[in-house]
Amino acid sequence: MIGIIGAKAVRGVNSVGQFGRFAWQAFGACLWSSLRTGTYPLIWAQMNIIGVKSVPVIMITGAFVGMTLAVQAYGQLAGMGLEEHLGVLINISVVKELGPVLAAVMLAGRVGGALTAELGTMNVTEQIDAVKSMGTDPIRYLVAPRVLACLLLTPFLIIYADLLGIIGGAFVSIVQLGINGRAYWEFSASGVELWDVTVGVMKGFFFGAAIAVISCYKGFTCKEGAQGVGQACTEAFVASFITILALDFALVVIFKAIYDTFWPFKSLVA
Amino acid sequence: MAESEDKKQEQGGQSDGVLEIKNVTKRFGPHVVLDDVSLTIEKGKTTVVIGPSGCGKTVLIKHLIVLLRPNAGEVYFKKQRIDHLSESELSKIRTHYGFLFQGGALFDSLSVAENIMFPIRQHYKITNWSEAEEVVKTKLAMVGLDGFQNYYPANLSGGQRKRVALARAVALNPEVILYDEPTTGLDPIRSDVINELVLKLQRELGVTTVVVTHDMTSAYKIADRIIMLHNGKIVADGDAEHIRDHPHPVVQQFINGQVGEDDLAVLRMSGTISQAQFLPRDFE
Repeated sequence: MIGIIGAKAVRGVNSVGQFGRFAWQAFGACLWSSLRTGTYPLIWAQMNIIGVKSVPVIMITGAFVGMTLAVQAYGQLAGMGLEEHLGVLINISVVKELGPVLAAVMLAGRVGGALTAELGTMNVTEQIDAVKSMGTDPIRYLVAPRVLACLLLTPFLIIYADLLGIIGGAFVSIVQLGINGRAYWEFSASGVELWDVTVGVMKGFFFGAAIAVISCYKGFTCKEGAQGVGQACTEAFVASFITILALDFALVVIFKAIYDTFWPFKSLVA
Repeated sequence: MAESEDKKQEQGGQSDGVLEIKNVTKRFGPHVVLDDVSLTIEKGKTTVVIGPSGCGKTVLIKHLIVLLRPNAGEVYFKKQRIDHLSESELSKIRTHYGFLFQGGALFDSLSVAENIMFPIRQHYKITNWSEAEEVVKTKLAMVGLDGFQNYYPANLSGGQRKRVALARAVALNPEVILYDEPTTGLDPIRSDVINELVLKLQRELGVTTVVVTHDMTSAYKIADRIIMLHNGKIVADGDAEHIRDHPHPVVQQFINGQVGEDDLAVLRMSGTISQAQFLPRDFE
């Protein structure tokens, strides 16, 4: 019994160490790739697959988040006669939390799954070994362009999710629920600061990097056969999902500390 | 003084082999695949490694290019120890190798021409594209597939895929070519085409060749030297004549394609075929 627990603990520590090493190599490779113009075509290609093709699904996610929030919150605010403040609630929820997190979760499913399946299949058909055998580092050639594309484009995708979330929320609030449009936008503008939008968008860099590194790692270490690739995809999504939630919590704490530290100076600058 | 001693230790053995593995042991979990194996591959010769499926042939050939690292022992390329090098250091060494994988391992998102161009683009800055295309054409012509530049691997037959993979393996004009089961899954005629290609490359380019196979027709045709692996150890090593007359029963059993007494005993123990049949009513 103790032996089994010990062996599991050793395996756990071992796999954390392997992942840490892989992530370190991946970021080193990203730095190397970003300094060499020869690698840019590979990054552009991945940007198209990862970023551009995700825009519709991210926009749909954002729009439904905004619309659902409007319907859910209207009843409670209207009961207190505060329905014109609905815009603040929707927009601050969308730009700070729901837009970034749901866009990242959607990306973990769409992009993370595809990355793991692609690299996993390359792994089991020895294509990654083939890259190595020709004197090329597979982390530089396969991982770095994917991580860079995901890291750079997730913030932009979050902006799309935010935009459609705001439009969706406004559409339901103003057109369907009949809230005064001018009041809706004025309260929204007074309640949502540039800082709130910035925090949401900044989260995208971390979420994007986490999704890409986890998905590539799972692809590189997947077991043989169709079942192995399928299992790796599932593990990649679950690990990405939990990492997004954990990172979100950590980033909220950090950004709040930064905000609280610099807030007193705002009045001096403004 | 200590440094020069270290350097001496880093050097390979006394022989003039281009590749050498010394006392290599490889384990996957509790399973020992290579057990204290030592081997020297001579320059310009074709060495064929034979043995039953699962005996560690592919593991052995992957150690020669350090796609797998040994749990114990050392690997040398031209007297330089390479098994402890980092991946970036190994990348330079690996440009001297060509590796033909069992399934070809062609990049399925790239065309035939792009596959062959891949190693060239990775190591050279191409400014004259028409010259690069000419190199691809030459490599494809060498394996009899000129005109297939714009095909994708999914549109090729098994034999064509292996020939394209071979053209890619020799794209950087390697000194050593490693073949992992080059004729597996091919019909006898396509197998012979691959054998002829192996011989042609060895004759015309003078490369050092290591072939892993369990196809004895192929082994006899191309080998200067045959090594047999069994249970992670080398049990026979010599030219084709030596292997044909080898007294070891496992060697004779393998080269003649005969089932062993152990396997027959297992089959006898496992019951008759009629006992293994079932009728739907058995489950009711």
